[in-house]
Amino acid sequence: MTILILAGGKSKRMGRDKALVERPDGTRQIDHILDLARQISPDLLVSTNSPQLTPPGTPVLPDLNPGDGPLGALASFHQAHPDESVLLIGCDLFLLDNESIARLVESHESGNSATCFKNRIDGRPEPLCAIYEPASLARAQGSIDKGDYCARHFLESLDPNTLELPNPVALDNANTPADLDEAFAKINHGVSSKSVKVLYFAKLREERGLDEETVETLACTAAGLYDELSFRHRFTLKLDALRCARNGDFCSWSDPLKADDEIVFIPPVAGG
Amino acid sequence: MFTITPTPLDPSAIREQVLDPAAGGFCAFEGWVRNHHQGRAVERLEYEAYPRLAEKEGNRIIDEAREKFEIVQASCIHRTGEVGIGGLAVIVCVSSHHRDAAFDACRYIIDEVKARVPIWKKEYFTDGSSGWVRCDHCAEHSH
Repeated sequence: MTILILAGGKSKRMGRDKALVERPDGTRQIDHILDLARQISPDLLVSTNSPQLTPPGTPVLPDLNPGDGPLGALASFHQAHPDESVLLIGCDLFLLDNESIARLVESHESGNSATCFKNRIDGRPEPLCAIYEPASLARAQGSIDKGDYCARHFLESLDPNTLELPNPVALDNANTPADLDEAFAKINHGVSSKSVKVLYFAKLREERGLDEETVETLACTAAGLYDELSFRHRFTLKLDALRCARNGDFCSWSDPLKADDEIVFIPPVAGG
Repeated sequence: MFTITPTPLDPSAIREQVLDPAAGGFCAFEGWVRNHHQGRAVERLEYEAYPRLAEKEGNRIIDEAREKFEIVQASCIHRTGEVGIGGLAVIVCVSSHHRDAAFDACRYIIDEVKARVPIWKKEYFTDGSSGWVRCDHCAEHSH
């Protein structure tokens, strides 16, 4: 089995290439993921159209059609290696750990079309840390040809073997600077469940259907909490349209959350 | 003083809050609910606030106005709940030694209140639809 590391994303919302982000210990994210992968298998490939990102000597798999996203990388891999299964790993998994990857590999059997983890919030399969068998990879191009580029839809269509995450935050990804603050807070301070009170107003109150609730969260920052809640409840307001308040005053998105905090996400205001 | 209230506003009561023998000028702004917005007919508005932070931020704005302009007193009161057409949504009152500071501070307070204080309004249109002002346009729908 080959490990295919996805480093071809545009990192638009991050504002810089996620592969090159420096982790709290100073290593580049791409080097960290390569290091994790090498502990599982020496057969590595990096899917990128910017080969200068990767350390010299790292084999690179260019996309057949740049811009086709993760499914494009799977299809490109299948064309080059039609008989091989692949362990796909997204480069933006800042909290991925060895134990999680090892669990995936141990649990996979060749009779499975694919093996993956369940998202810790909605339970749906996670496509960007998953093992795909050749027969499944053969279907990736067809999905692209139908115009469905969604890797999660594709994985669901395979009826995969889905596992509980041994480390619940292992697949929390980071798409924005606020997500990155949250990921780094988890790396620096560890992950523990805490209970906070959330008040909802205006459009968020209507979308949640509640004025307030007590929430158990693994988030370390207000941004991480909004990310969890907006994913769970499908809030339509994006974080950058909001401000946040903690214990009755405005706070920064990266402020650490403490147990029993009162948190308010403030939609665009319109007094007067 | 900045206040949030669910009850109808009384302009004379808030005017009294800024009366002062040292003041020679007075300026007030009243925000009224109008019957149209961006070409659509409005039936009524509903205001909602996070009172704990709204009063804190509103009072900060009044303190800033005191620092920026030579005023004597300033007060602002804002409604929550349903307000019909022609109803008073907000009143700002400022008294000062000389008129310029009262005009400037009044303008500063209403502009900052609208931009910063956690108060939201929902418009109910005569066609039966409704929407949160400044929220609906920045909402995104994910698949």
